[in-house]
Amino acid sequence: MSMIDDSRPIFLQIAELIENDIVSGTIGEESQVPSTNEFAAYYRINPATAAKGINLLVERGILHKKRGIGMFVSTGARAQLLQTRRKDFQTQYIAPLAREAQKLGIGADELNAMIKQSLISELTEGSGIR
Amino acid sequence: MSRVMNVARMQLINKWTFLGIPMVILVGSTALTIAIWAMIPKGGILVSGSSQAVVWYFLALGIQSLTLTFPFSQAMSVSRKTFYLGTLGLFATIALAYAVLYYVLGLIETATGGWGMGGQLFALGWISENNAGVQILFYFVIMVLLFMIGFWCATIYLRWKATGMLVLGIGVALLTLAWVGLMSMNHWWIPFWTWVGSATVLGLALSLGVLCVLLAGGSYLTLRRATA
Amino acid sequence: MNDTQAPAIELRNLTKSYKDLNALDDISLSLEPGRIYGLLGRNGAGKTTLMTMLTGQGYPTSGEALIFGANPFEHDQTLARICFIRESQKYPDDFSPLQAFKAAALFFANWDQDLADSLAKDFALPLKRRIKKLSRGQLSAVGVIIGMAARAEITFFDEPYLGLDAVARQIFYDRLVEDFAHHPRTIVLSSHLIDEIANLLEHVVVIDKGRIMLNEDAESLRGSAVAVTGNAEKVEGFINGYEVLHRDSLGSLASVTIKARLTATQQEMAAELGLELSPVPLQQLVVRTTLAAQSREELTESQEALK
Repeated sequence: MSMIDDSRPIFLQIAELIENDIVSGTIGEESQVPSTNEFAAYYRINPATAAKGINLLVERGILHKKRGIGMFVSTGARAQLLQTRRKDFQTQYIAPLAREAQKLGIGADELNAMIKQSLISELTEGSGIR
Repeated sequence: MSRVMNVARMQLINKWTFLGIPMVILVGSTALTIAIWAMIPKGGILVSGSSQAVVWYFLALGIQSLTLTFPFSQAMSVSRKTFYLGTLGLFATIALAYAVLYYVLGLIETATGGWGMGGQLFALGWISENNAGVQILFYFVIMVLLFMIGFWCATIYLRWKATGMLVLGIGVALLTLAWVGLMSMNHWWIPFWTWVGSATVLGLALSLGVLCVLLAGGSYLTLRRATA
Repeated sequence: MNDTQAPAIELRNLTKSYKDLNALDDISLSLEPGRIYGLLGRNGAGKTTLMTMLTGQGYPTSGEALIFGANPFEHDQTLARICFIRESQKYPDDFSPLQAFKAAALFFANWDQDLADSLAKDFALPLKRRIKKLSRGQLSAVGVIIGMAARAEITFFDEPYLGLDAVARQIFYDRLVEDFAHHPRTIVLSSHLIDEIANLLEHVVVIDKGRIMLNEDAESLRGSAVAVTGNAEKVEGFINGYEVLHRDSLGSLASVTIKARLTATQQEMAAELGLELSPVPLQQLVVRTTLAAQSREELTESQEALK
């Protein structure tokens, strides 16, 4: 599985993959997420590691357990994740962008225009697909 | 205990090696001998040792039951002791069955006048004079003895490889030489042969039985620290 | 026996010597039950010897090898809880795989015939052919099937994939994860193909020259090292103070693997310096750690020689 890499512990990556699906709306709130064993089999990882990733999300209140049934996405989980992601957006994406722009001598106005253009094409393409 | 029984069952999974071949040897050699007797001109008593082939096969059984199965038994998480008990128990039982079979075939031979041809295959004079118990014991001890020799040699090879065999060979040769020398120097040959001549089948079976026990003990001590 | 408290596997100052060679050199280790362990190391590092001691197939020169707190050597009760198929496992010459499975069913209380059958099908194993006529890969498959279908409390796999092609190896790994998920137990996978099994392992033990080099949770190893690449001077400045596992250089370019978990700020700093940070796969990490430990050892040895 190319989705799992060696840069960080796998359980963090599993947690992030589930988060991504929640943020994008692939897994709706109050719907069930795959079981530990299903994750393990799909990503070919140790079941204990998959469980650790899921437990991390339980601790954060993103997922909750329904006894005897499985794991479900909590109500408000998406909003909670969006909030955190927005906070990280600056450091994770904007800072490197600014750094590279400076290296290439791209000014603020030019950068602004480029971002605008990308946003527009993303929106049209996005609506085209959906 | 059930694991000991399971070792016996494991040895019997491939029935051909340990049960089929000896049967084929027995039936084949007997049939062949009788066929030869039927072809040669009649006269006197016909004696053949061909039926003893199975007895000798116990030497091969001793070797095979160890070399073929011991390393596998280790993978089956069987202790050496359990392997030893199960294997010895099984082949002692088989030896006993063959001993009884020999006795019964001897009875049939006598009753049919040597298979109708005055032949001697199973009821060999010197042995068949004795009662059933002694005859069976004698055959049993001989087969177990050969089995133990094969089993121990195979164990020595497993544990010490060619060096072990060499040491064993030299050891046996030296012991034989020492024994011959001792006998000659003390002029013990005549009393020895007199003793052998006067020995009863029972006496011989018992003294070989003691040898069997010694070999069995030696085999166990050798196997106890062997690695597959 | 005190099962609840005794670790699944325990080694106490275990040494195994052959003539003048120490195959295992004063090893101590304790592994808890219910996990998949990777026993990693180069060929001849002592992996097989270690498993031989742990399964009562051999005996130590000194020290102890314990399974659930008991010495397995000649101890049937303890042996019954273990399954160890050697890489060069011998089978009775005249056996077919079917007969080997029949024997295994006699000795392993949890033997699952259905699992054995379905694995045999997956591996396309000719069940009635004599074992001595099987190919190396098919022979490995027999060992893998016995090891898995035995469902022993502790299962040792000794380089189980020899002769198996990539597809068959993937089948093995997939089925192992699947079966472990439903029947958790202690599994020790000995291997030098670390990349292939890295994600299956929960804990990693690396041995080299009969000694333990690394004994850590796989997850805490992941991301515990990083390769810093860029201008040699800047790299040297950045890595100052960290344990260096490996150094490569090409002209003014340097790539240094360091033992470090960098914070976001440090990562940013590296980026500002124009340095590239790249993750170190488990296999690389094991190789680097082993080699680094070796060169340290050689260094102390030569220092001692100088004194």
